[in-house]
Amino acid sequence: MWNWLINPKEPYTWVFFLRVVIKATLLFLLFNLLFAWLRPMDFISRLSLYNTVVVGRERLPYGENSAEAYTLTTDNIPAMFATHEINRAKAPDEYRVLLVGDSATWGFLLPAHQTLAQQLTDKNYLLADGRRVVAYTIAHPVMSLTKDLLLLDEAMRYQPDMVIWLVTLQSFSQNRQIGAPIIQNNPTRVRQLITDYELSLNPNDERFKSIISNMIIGNQRNLADWLRIQLYGFMWGATGIDHVVNEYTLRRNDFDDDVSWENFDAPQTISPDDLAFDVIRAGHQMVGGIPLIVVNEPMFIADGVNSDLHYNNFYPRWVYDEYRGLFTQVARTNDWRYCDLWDAMPRDSFTDSPVHMTPDATGELSRILGEMLTDYLDFGYLGRECD
Amino acid sequence: MTFNLTLIAIFTVGGFIYSLILPKSWRKWTLFIASLLAVYALQPPLLIRDMDFILPTITIFVAVFVWIATLPRTDNRLRMTIQWRDLFTMAILILLITGLAMTRHLPSEWQLLTASRPPDPFTIFLALLPIALLIILLGGAQINQPRQRLALSFIILIIIGVFIILKTESFAIGLSGWLREQTGRDASLANPLTDLNWLGFSYVAFRLIHVLRDRQTGKLPDVSLRDMLTYIIFFPSLTAGPIDRIERFQEDLSALPDMNGRDPSRIVVGSTRIVIGIFKKFVIADSLALFSLSITNAEQATNAGGMWILLYAYAFRLFFDFSGYTDIAIGIGMLFGVQLPENFNRPYLKNSITAFWQAWHITLSNWVRFYIFSPLTRTMLRWKRKPSSDVIVGIGLVATMVIIGLWHGISLTFLVWGLWHATGLFIHKMWSDRTRKWYNQFKKKQGQLRLWNWAGIFITFHFVVMGWVWFALPDLNTVFSVLGKLAGVGF
Amino acid sequence: MIEMDEKTIREKIRAYITADFIRDPDYPLADEEGIITGGMMDSFALAELAVFVENAFNVYIPDPDLTVAKMDTLNQIVARVMRDMK
Repeated sequence: MWNWLINPKEPYTWVFFLRVVIKATLLFLLFNLLFAWLRPMDFISRLSLYNTVVVGRERLPYGENSAEAYTLTTDNIPAMFATHEINRAKAPDEYRVLLVGDSATWGFLLPAHQTLAQQLTDKNYLLADGRRVVAYTIAHPVMSLTKDLLLLDEAMRYQPDMVIWLVTLQSFSQNRQIGAPIIQNNPTRVRQLITDYELSLNPNDERFKSIISNMIIGNQRNLADWLRIQLYGFMWGATGIDHVVNEYTLRRNDFDDDVSWENFDAPQTISPDDLAFDVIRAGHQMVGGIPLIVVNEPMFIADGVNSDLHYNNFYPRWVYDEYRGLFTQVARTNDWRYCDLWDAMPRDSFTDSPVHMTPDATGELSRILGEMLTDYLDFGYLGRECD
Repeated sequence: MTFNLTLIAIFTVGGFIYSLILPKSWRKWTLFIASLLAVYALQPPLLIRDMDFILPTITIFVAVFVWIATLPRTDNRLRMTIQWRDLFTMAILILLITGLAMTRHLPSEWQLLTASRPPDPFTIFLALLPIALLIILLGGAQINQPRQRLALSFIILIIIGVFIILKTESFAIGLSGWLREQTGRDASLANPLTDLNWLGFSYVAFRLIHVLRDRQTGKLPDVSLRDMLTYIIFFPSLTAGPIDRIERFQEDLSALPDMNGRDPSRIVVGSTRIVIGIFKKFVIADSLALFSLSITNAEQATNAGGMWILLYAYAFRLFFDFSGYTDIAIGIGMLFGVQLPENFNRPYLKNSITAFWQAWHITLSNWVRFYIFSPLTRTMLRWKRKPSSDVIVGIGLVATMVIIGLWHGISLTFLVWGLWHATGLFIHKMWSDRTRKWYNQFKKKQGQLRLWNWAGIFITFHFVVMGWVWFALPDLNTVFSVLGKLAGVGF
Repeated sequence: MIEMDEKTIREKIRAYITADFIRDPDYPLADEEGIITGGMMDSFALAELAVFVENAFNVYIPDPDLTVAKMDTLNQIVARVMRDMK
């Protein structure tokens, strides 16, 4: 079996040994230079076993305990989308709805088949022209509108027919816009968005990762994530597991009297520039002709100690009321289709955070969204739930 | 700890220095001392105090005891052939172990040579000497020529006894519980994996039995204490084999002094084997590990296709991990001038289960053939009213394969795995006996032969893969649920 | 034990192999012909051969020597028996 190695045509010499080592190093360097020149990272990332050898994932991969959840958190955006079920041709009778949002829309503490998008699709809404509403969640458990925009930018490649953007005040905070690794580690893409849509973000924010090199070494992390997510694909295909739902403690219902929020330490009036409304504007420009409905997602409203000062552990009442007032006004002046569902769900709908919901509550919300989008498409207005 | 990349790098660099720089006369001693250190350094840390220092020491002293017991007894009077060099080796041994214990006083980040903080050297020195002397007295004086054969069988039984205790779940938990009580630890947390994980014991036990048996059958060459110890605990093959034979190993050792250190071909072939081994183990096997069959994902699987992928991934991971490790061990051995035997020869491309077992873990199947199958079948053949040769082969196969199965762990699933392969081997033996003449003619038709060959490979491979279900899963009902899922039932 | 020379040992073994394993007594088994590698006998049969050698020549061949590499041709077998003849 090892004959080829043990009995070479002519005996090995030190010269041969050195030649092999040198040739190997040269090849390695050549590959790196070629990689840096061709920049094939995105092309490679879009190669995927999903939707071919293995069924597509029902949401973007995310998770810390990779071993149990057969998934991983990655900054490699094209690779994430290539694993998604959206990465397939659109059926002729399919009306493709994208759900953009944070961990609530992603379905934290929910198994894959009970997410908002999955339950919306399962309700089989039919449009007047006979098309089926098929919803895809491209949400990602990070609270930042810029992250939503970043993912929406990639998702536009997959011919969506409508985008529903579920937001909450946390995602509007300015210092959260570049707060997460997925944004910091994609400096080129984010800077491109800043210039294309004149976002009020600082392109040289020191939190952006500096690009060490475009060679293989520089892209090691993205390549490794891409490879491992393919391998986990077999586990996803075999088990349908992409998230581990274990015990959790209920969201808080009692609070102290500190009413600060982000860098606002006391109640005051807030102007639109204090919140990232410009990213929502950019989203409207990005989707172009297709309809974009912005939804202020439902949240838990506490009734415990100091609940007169706090809606929940995210929001003191004063800042959230300011936010809602601002949002309605900005939406009207910009003629955005805006649906405020902040208090649409009862208190027992929520799990470990003010926005994470139980499977049944998620089902109810999917019904509301379903009727909202069908009313809008059939009659042109968002229906009674929204106003 | 198994071979991680840093360890492989250390061994490889060590190999280059050993080959290119080290004086030739130092080579045998270097292998001896390196192996002695490796027994302590590679031993995984254990939760019972000092256990990860005691177990390696026991390994060494058992090896010394076996060497003494297998010394040729020249005549009835108790004279044995212990030479000065062997006493010198024992002195080096005791000094080294005590020296290792001394590292107890070094700051903990310097204690690289032992799994955890070694016990107090003073007690070691006091405890060590009496034990060493006791062994020499007990071993030497008691065993004289007529009784040597019986004594060796007794030692073999002890080794098998210890093996059974360590490898049977209930016994091992009982033992680690008892040990925890002795050292004042919480006995309820008894867990053999964290308490009694004895580095390379299964492999050392088989090398010891090989040496003891070969003395009984008169095949054991004369070997010095240093060479015997180096053979038993040779550092590249300490953790997981291959199980070499002592006369072959000794040939390499004796050739060391005049081995050309600067011979490029040995170093090129050795380094290439290491690089190939690293690729197989750390790239292929570790990638397959992400989706290879396990107790958890077996229950989670929801479709037959997925189940088959997990099983195939397990089959290939097992091969690439073990054959990759073996390539590394053989490559490192080569750098040190020792040509360890091969363990794999494209097993999944063999067209019969018999050929598979001559290509999978070869050194283990050789060992069981020499020390279980062959002696067992010969004893049965010598009986006056001996059963038919088919029955003899059948019994021999069942005994051999069951022992290979239980060697991995004494549990029902490993037992069934052994029986599975014994049945396969037996059926193939019956088949090939009855078709030998037909096959010798058939071999001439090239076209059909290739087709027949591929059919054989397909059947053998899947027979082995189905066997891995028993091997991979610890309890029967998971096995049955997986077998059902593979057939598309039971979701 | 009558004193046996190499020729009689060779013939006794040849006869045994052709009759018991190849099951064709007048098969022309050459001295250098690979019996196991030639597919006429499998390695299981080596144990039977070893017992025959014990009974016929009172020679004990240790198990580790019963391998295809060492016992594949008649020459090898005869040489091995001769080596340990008392």
